[in-house]
Amino acid sequence: MSNSVFSVISRFVEEYRSSTPNKLKMIDAYLLYILLTGVFQFLYCVLVGTFPFNSFLSGFISCVGSFILAVCLRIQINPQNKRDFLTVSPERAFADFLFAHTVLHLVVVNFVG
Amino acid sequence: MAHLCLFSLLVLSLVLETQALTPTHHLTTTDVARLQAVLSQPFTDLKSAYYSVVGLSKLGIFVADADETCRFINSNLDPSSVESLFYAAEASQALSGCEIPVTNDTRDLLLATVSEDSTASQIHQSVSALSALGLPLASQEVVSALKARISKEDNVLAIILALQTASRLSQQAELGEILEEIEDLAARLDDLGGVYLQFEEGLEATALFVSAAYSLSDHVDMEPPLKEDQVIQLVNSIFSKKSWDSLSEAFSVASAAASLSNNRFHVPVIVSAQGPAAVSHSHPFLQLQVTDVLCQPLSSASVLVESASAVASKSAILSQAPFTLRDGVFELNFMASQPASGYYQFSVAITGDSRFVANHVELKVKVSTRVAINNMDLSVVDKDQSIGPKTTRVEYPTKAKASFMADSHQNFAMTFQLVDETTGVELTPHQTFVRLHNQKTGQEVVFVAEPDSKNLYKFELDTAERKTEFDSISGTYALYLMVGDATLENPILWNVADVVLKFLDEEAPGTIQAKTLYVPKPEIQHLFREPEKKPPTVVSNAFTALVLSPFLLLLILWFKLGANISNFTLSPSTILFHIGHAAMLGLMYVYWTHLNMFQTLKYLAIIGSLTFLAGNRMLAQKAVKRIAAEQSSRLAKYRSLR
Repeated sequence: MSNSVFSVISRFVEEYRSSTPNKLKMIDAYLLYILLTGVFQFLYCVLVGTFPFNSFLSGFISCVGSFILAVCLRIQINPQNKRDFLTVSPERAFADFLFAHTVLHLVVVNFVG
Repeated sequence: MAHLCLFSLLVLSLVLETQALTPTHHLTTTDVARLQAVLSQPFTDLKSAYYSVVGLSKLGIFVADADETCRFINSNLDPSSVESLFYAAEASQALSGCEIPVTNDTRDLLLATVSEDSTASQIHQSVSALSALGLPLASQEVVSALKARISKEDNVLAIILALQTASRLSQQAELGEILEEIEDLAARLDDLGGVYLQFEEGLEATALFVSAAYSLSDHVDMEPPLKEDQVIQLVNSIFSKKSWDSLSEAFSVASAAASLSNNRFHVPVIVSAQGPAAVSHSHPFLQLQVTDVLCQPLSSASVLVESASAVASKSAILSQAPFTLRDGVFELNFMASQPASGYYQFSVAITGDSRFVANHVELKVKVSTRVAINNMDLSVVDKDQSIGPKTTRVEYPTKAKASFMADSHQNFAMTFQLVDETTGVELTPHQTFVRLHNQKTGQEVVFVAEPDSKNLYKFELDTAERKTEFDSISGTYALYLMVGDATLENPILWNVADVVLKFLDEEAPGTIQAKTLYVPKPEIQHLFREPEKKPPTVVSNAFTALVLSPFLLLLILWFKLGANISNFTLSPSTILFHIGHAAMLGLMYVYWTHLNMFQTLKYLAIIGSLTFLAGNRMLAQKAVKRIAAEQSSRLAKYRSLR
């Protein structure tokens, strides 16, 4: 059982390393970074306490929002999805990504207190 | 239809009769004396002499030195003035043996004044002077002149003077129309609250109207069209003022009083109790003064109690009992009917003359009595009632010799009866209090003793239950019984006994403080909200480092993946874009530390639009490059395939 799981995972990793374009790998690294940041924030809240609660919420929402926006960017840039996004060029996706981040950070900084 | 009318009229009259008014204001003997004093002031001119002399004569008083007054009148007389002649003639008629010389000119002057061209006042003065001086006058001419004047001068005073004038004329003259003016004037009176009836012109006009109306009615022997209630309301209005502004006002009140006390039709009756309307065994007679408006006793009257009933029980005590007249006062021995103490409602009727008005009076009479305390029994009862109670009887007004001890296991009890001293009937006065007074501390506690169904008063003191009233202070308390009521002549304050109360010592306060209600209260300290507990700085710093650490990981990964800035073109749009983007991130930081949302949005709008334009340019260039690269790669692929 565990053998098949292990083989699936190694196959997946191999596939990933070979066929994923570099740009996407960079975005994946960024996604990992965002994820870890969110996890560590949540860990602090669980261990130490929710004071101040608004700061925790804003930080956590920032991580979640950034993750989602990065995922959207990854989907739109991926050449394999080109047929789904005929009107959206990679540059346009990036510009949308930047604009959405501006709005997100405005709200996050307002709430962090 | 006619029967129904009659029946309703009868019912209405009955209703009206039962609600007949009685005068609320009347002149007392002091007021009458004051009126006389005002009118007796030394006179300065003919007019004031007229008011004084004639006013006093209406009150039945004659001036002291008539000759002196007569000389004064004659010396001040101006024979060419109608007014002067009027005053002189009237005044001299009131004085006995005073003659005014009359010349033909005087007579002609007076007769000439009687015409339609003179005012009503002038006609009144000339006619009065003519009749006072005994000169003949033509009544019919006067009547026609008066009628003309009334229609021209429609004011109240003119019509009153016309009425007065008409009363001097011959009875054969046609005074019918002038007589009707009384009714018209009565309609002009203002009803104030159902109590007063007066002209808006004032007291003087009202009083003059009354005297004029009655003098004319007497002259023609026809009852004036004034209802009984109206007469009483007029009495209230005229006699409510007890000090008069001017001599003419006093004169008008005196004439009104004279006409109301002595006319052929309506004589208002004033009934007042002599002193307080209260009887007791020491004062068994109820005394009433029955007078006319001038405080003169009505000797022809007979006073009768139609019914007397107790206010509380509504049971009738007396019916149709007559008062006896003694020394000008009507009295009745009410105590002879042995009434119980309390208040009684008397309905008194004054008969004897058909002219009497307001001759049904309602009075409230108080019967007082003396109270005696019987069977005062004091005892100390054990709560578990294992030991029988010892009762000590105490006689009023002595004090019990031994003091009573009561602690938390015992009750102190007191029973007594309150009876009428003379009749022995049980009484329930309004105030029956038991007062316990601690002589050492000055403490005082008051309880109420309640009667049971058999009118036996009981008071029980449960030491344990009542300890809060006493503040648990043990000691000797003097016990007082207080009995009082409006109908008791002898209120009682009796020190019955001394009671030693024992409370549990632990509960007694250390120092006995006077109950101070009005001292400053202890200050309230406001407790502000405690700030929340923060974790130690070490922990916070450690976690900050932990949260920032993935950034390092990111940089390492990117480096490993081969991220580079080799494609960085130094075009102005690229540089501007990067600067703008960095500025936006900086703005976020500044927003967190210094700014508010509005300022941030303002700066963001500026920086953002710049960044947007630069970025748009930059990305467009990149897009162009990318498309060109794609096309060339496709072209190469196509070429290689061929």
